[in-house]
Amino acid sequence: MSNGNTRVPLKEGLWIDERDTGGMLQLVGSACSDCGEICFARREIGFCGYCQSSNLKEIRLSDRGTVYSYTVVMQRPPEYYKGPVPYAIGFVELPEGVRVETLFTDCDFEDLRIGMEVELVLRKLHQDEEGNDVVTYMFRPTGQ
Amino acid sequence: MGKLREVAVAGAGFSRFDIYDGRKGRPFKECDELGTEAILAALDEAGMSLTDIQAAFCGKVYASTATGHNAIKRIGMTGMPIVNLENACSSGGSGFRLAYEAIAREQYDVVLAFGAEEAPRGGMIKSTSWPLYQRQMGFNVQPASYAMGAIRYMEETGATEEDFSRVTVKNRRNGALNPYARFQKPVTLEEVMASRMVAKPLRLLHSCPLADGAAAVILCAAHKLKSKEKKVTVAAAVLTTGTYGHEYGGGSVKIKTPHQISLCMEQAWRMSGLGPGDIDVLQAYDTMSAGELWDIEKMGFCGKGEAPGLLREGHFDIGGKLPVNTDGGLLSRGHALGATGVAQIIEIYRQLRGQAGERQVAGAKTGLAHAMGAGPNSSVVILKK
Repeated sequence: MSNGNTRVPLKEGLWIDERDTGGMLQLVGSACSDCGEICFARREIGFCGYCQSSNLKEIRLSDRGTVYSYTVVMQRPPEYYKGPVPYAIGFVELPEGVRVETLFTDCDFEDLRIGMEVELVLRKLHQDEEGNDVVTYMFRPTGQ
Repeated sequence: MGKLREVAVAGAGFSRFDIYDGRKGRPFKECDELGTEAILAALDEAGMSLTDIQAAFCGKVYASTATGHNAIKRIGMTGMPIVNLENACSSGGSGFRLAYEAIAREQYDVVLAFGAEEAPRGGMIKSTSWPLYQRQMGFNVQPASYAMGAIRYMEETGATEEDFSRVTVKNRRNGALNPYARFQKPVTLEEVMASRMVAKPLRLLHSCPLADGAAAVILCAAHKLKSKEKKVTVAAAVLTTGTYGHEYGGGSVKIKTPHQISLCMEQAWRMSGLGPGDIDVLQAYDTMSAGELWDIEKMGFCGKGEAPGLLREGHFDIGGKLPVNTDGGLLSRGHALGATGVAQIIEIYRQLRGQAGERQVAGAKTGLAHAMGAGPNSSVVILKK
C-alpha cells in the first residue's frame, strides 16, 4: 500500500490506529453520560448535541457495521474533494447505535446494498501540495 | 402571542426564472433589475406606488450586496427600512413571514416581501454546511444527500426510480403551462429515465435547474386594500429550523425528535385553524424530484410511502384531488434561491385569485406553499380566499 510518500491524516482525532502495537483501528466519537446519545465525530465543543449536557466522554467505536444508506456520486463536487470520480458515500450504522457518514472503497459500487456488512480501513484520499499522501477513514465490505 | 391583525396580499409580480447572463443569445440583466420588474408588477396589481410601501424584506442568497436596495432604488428612494436576508432556500419565505408579522402586529400597514437572485455561474453550489474534512471527503453534494434519502425511501416504501421520474414528468407538464417557468417544454418518462445519473438513483432530470429571477408580493392590512374583490389573506406564515437527529440519509439511531417539517406544519395548522383536508392546492418542495414525494408525506397530506401510488393515480395532477406544484415547481419553474420562497407563495395567490390560466385549479379556496433547504430551514405559508 505504501508508495514511500509521507502519510498524513486528513484531520487529527477522527480515528486511533494502534495496529502497530497489537491494537485496533477505531473511529473516535463522543458519548453523553446523561442521555446516552453517541455521535461521530468527537464533539469538540464539549456539549451533547441533543441534551446539551457537558458530561461527555470520548469513546472508541466499533470497526464494523452495516450500510444504512449510500449513493454513487457521478460528477465532481465543487472544490475540496480531490479523489477519483465516481465515488461512493453513505452512512454506516455501528452496533453502538451511531451512524457514520463515510466513503466506501475496495468494492464495485454497483454491489453496495443497505444492510451490507462493512469494516473500517484507512485509505489515501489524495496527495496534498507538499506531496504527502492524505489518508482518511473509509469502509469496505467485510471478508476481503 | 397577542392578537394578530388580518393581513391580505395586495398584489404580486414575477420576472421569469431564467439565465440572464448575456451569453448564447440570452439577454443580460442584473438580478436587481429583475427585482425591479417584479416589484413594479406587484405595485401595479396592488394599485399602489412605492410611497405606499413602509418597509421591505428582500431574500437573496448568491446575489450581491444590497440587492434589495438596488432593486428598489431604481424606482425611487423613500428612506424606508430595507433588509436583505439570506436564509438559504427559505429566504423568500422568511422575508414573507417578517413582513406578515410586522403588519399583523401593527408595526406597519403595507410591506413589500420579495426575492431577487443571481444563480451561481458554473453549476453546482459551494456549501459550507459541512465541516472542512467532510467537504474534502466529497460529502458536500446536495443531490447526493437527497440520493441517500432516496435509497432509504425506496427500501422503506417500495418506491422506484420511475416514481421519482413521474414527479418530473408531472411538474414539467405543469411548467409548460406557466409563462414564467424556466423550462416550458414537457418531458417523457423515457427522457427522464435516460438522462445522465448525477448521484445514484437520481438523474439530471430529477434535479431542479438553478435560475436567475425575482418574485415580489405586497402585504397589507385589510383596510389598505385598493380592491376587496378576490381578497386573499394570510392564514399562516411559519418558519422552523432543524431538530436533532434528522440528517438527510442518516440521522440519529436512538433519539427521535419531531422533524422540522412536522414542527412547521403543527404551527401552521394551529395558527390557521385548518388541516390537511382543507388545502385545495399545494406547492411542495421539489429541489430533487424524490423530495416532493416525501415532502407531501412529511407535511401530513398522506401516510408514509403512499405518495408514489397517489401520484400514479393522478391525485397530484391539475384536476386531481390535491394538485401539487401547479406552476411546475422547482423542477420546471426553476430555482432562483432567494426568490424561490416568494415564487412558491405567488403560485398559491394566482390559483386562489383564479389567475392561473391553463393551469387553474377549479374552485381553489385555500393553498399552502412550502420551501426548505440548507440550514436546515423550513417555511410554510397558507393563503385563503
